[in-house]
Amino acid sequence: MSDPRPLQASLKPRASPPGRRAPSPAGAVRALAAGRVARAVLVAALVVGGWQAVVLVAAPPPYILPGPGRVAAALVGNARFLAENALVTTLEIGLGLVLGVGLGVATAVAMAIAPAARRLLLPGIVVVQSLPVFALAPLLVLWLGFGLASKVVMASLVIFFPVASALNDGLGRTDPALLDLARLAGASRGTTLAIIRFPAALPDLVSGLRVAAAIAPIGAVIGEWVGAAAGLGFVMLHANARMQTDLMFAALAVLAVIAVALRAAIDRLGRRLVPWVEG
Amino acid sequence: MPRLPALAVSRRALLRGAAATAAVAASLAAVPPAFAADKLTVLLDWFVNPDHAPLVVAAQQGFFADEGLDVELVPPSDPAAPPRLVAAGQADVAVTYQPSLYEQVAAEMPLARFGTLVETPLNTVIVLADGPVKTLADLKGRTIGFSVAGFEDVLLSAMLRSAGLTPADVKVINVNFALSSSVMTGAVDAVVGGYRNFELTQMALEGKPGRAFFPEEHGVPAYDELILVARRDRLDDPRLPRFLAAVERAALWITNNPEAGWKSFVAANPSLDDELNARAWKDTLPRFAKRPAALDRGRYERFATFLTEAGLIKSLPPITDYAVELR
Repeated sequence: MSDPRPLQASLKPRASPPGRRAPSPAGAVRALAAGRVARAVLVAALVVGGWQAVVLVAAPPPYILPGPGRVAAALVGNARFLAENALVTTLEIGLGLVLGVGLGVATAVAMAIAPAARRLLLPGIVVVQSLPVFALAPLLVLWLGFGLASKVVMASLVIFFPVASALNDGLGRTDPALLDLARLAGASRGTTLAIIRFPAALPDLVSGLRVAAAIAPIGAVIGEWVGAAAGLGFVMLHANARMQTDLMFAALAVLAVIAVALRAAIDRLGRRLVPWVEG
Repeated sequence: MPRLPALAVSRRALLRGAAATAAVAASLAAVPPAFAADKLTVLLDWFVNPDHAPLVVAAQQGFFADEGLDVELVPPSDPAAPPRLVAAGQADVAVTYQPSLYEQVAAEMPLARFGTLVETPLNTVIVLADGPVKTLADLKGRTIGFSVAGFEDVLLSAMLRSAGLTPADVKVINVNFALSSSVMTGAVDAVVGGYRNFELTQMALEGKPGRAFFPEEHGVPAYDELILVARRDRLDDPRLPRFLAAVERAALWITNNPEAGWKSFVAANPSLDDELNARAWKDTLPRFAKRPAALDRGRYERFATFLTEAGLIKSLPPITDYAVELR
């Protein structure tokens, strides 16, 4: 048996020349994270800077467009209030995502397994999507009450279509060569779906999830506008009626942060699910 | 004596010419002042409804035109927008609520009240007539729905206090546009924000009559439900007194001729010719300000104190800044 040590020796990292340390994996991740955070901070600074510039140049009245200073003051002054309501909205968005994505995936898979189901379901889905959300929201509140349920259903309705549509497209676009292979090997429809079509459609699912993440907050907020006792949409509506435009913008800013964080989380999930796709 | 050269115009032609000139002159004089009429944009507080009767009738009966005004009545898509739009100079007059005026002033909007449209409160707390709530004290532990107007929770707190309750004794939910339906279906036990001349009638027509508690009878100072506001720096606009004169004329005309007034209202708004609006019309008649320009400064001051003590407003400029009587 050959001596394994030379192989091990060749696998050990070379000693770096003096005065220059090779980056360890942990250090590389830290540098990358710091770069990402720095970029986020830079973008935020640019947005705030642009906003302040508009306020300085156009000088709109504060009850139409308050400056970043006033909004920051409202944010700090109502921090606890905003945090409580942000929690409610985040919960609605989270539950809405779970329900909406679950329903969307189930529908797309059902349509992929049974083409008959597809002919039945697809027109119905398109109709539901085209109904203005404002028309449905009061009905939901009437049926489900003013609690969490109506907001979660509202959010999931809004999320359902992009996910179902994207996954449906993905499942319909599998490489024909792979399908031939499955057929030649005698795989059942279910097996083909599980081990070939579904994994191949994962990038499309992730795209659908990205769109869903962007519009999930909208669904939750609209649900709150129509009947709620808490949540950022409720806060915005109330502040608007009370002429507290700075508080309204503060709630909007918090909602924007939630939306961006959600998008980042979905991106991370996407990279985990489909590591073979770039970007 | 040589005769003067005869003019090529016969006497008949001269007479005809004079008549023609007279006719042209008369028709020029008869041209309506529309060419000289001043435009005025009025943003309503809500969709056109019988609460706006003096404005609608003044437009329909030509009272505005007689004052040389071409008034446009615009319903809003967002009820909180009209005061902001007037403050920003996008419109001339807004219809808003007296309690909201203080919030607007506290938010540094340069507005001032110059007239009143409806001089009594219209807001109520409504419960089902055959429900378990017979007095305000019965609201303890119950749910109350409200629509967002910005001051209803203050109204409610004062009314609860008058019954020995605190806001912590009730649960409050924003039901937005579903005021009548949420109390009729029992989704909430009571609603605040429904109007005594509208939602109550709506419920009666649906077969689920309501019982009303009136804020001014339960601890809230009396106030004007609908007022007219304009920008503070435009109060010397000569159109405003003319506008008020036409509104006053319409309010009196409706008082004297309620049937003709209703016919005029539905002529301008055929879609509102139904039982609900007809009843609302009758119920609102006694509540229109017959002296729209008049200001009861003490009343406005009392309400300012009420809102400041309730904590809704931190501080206000002197009343003369934001509530005026035009001459």
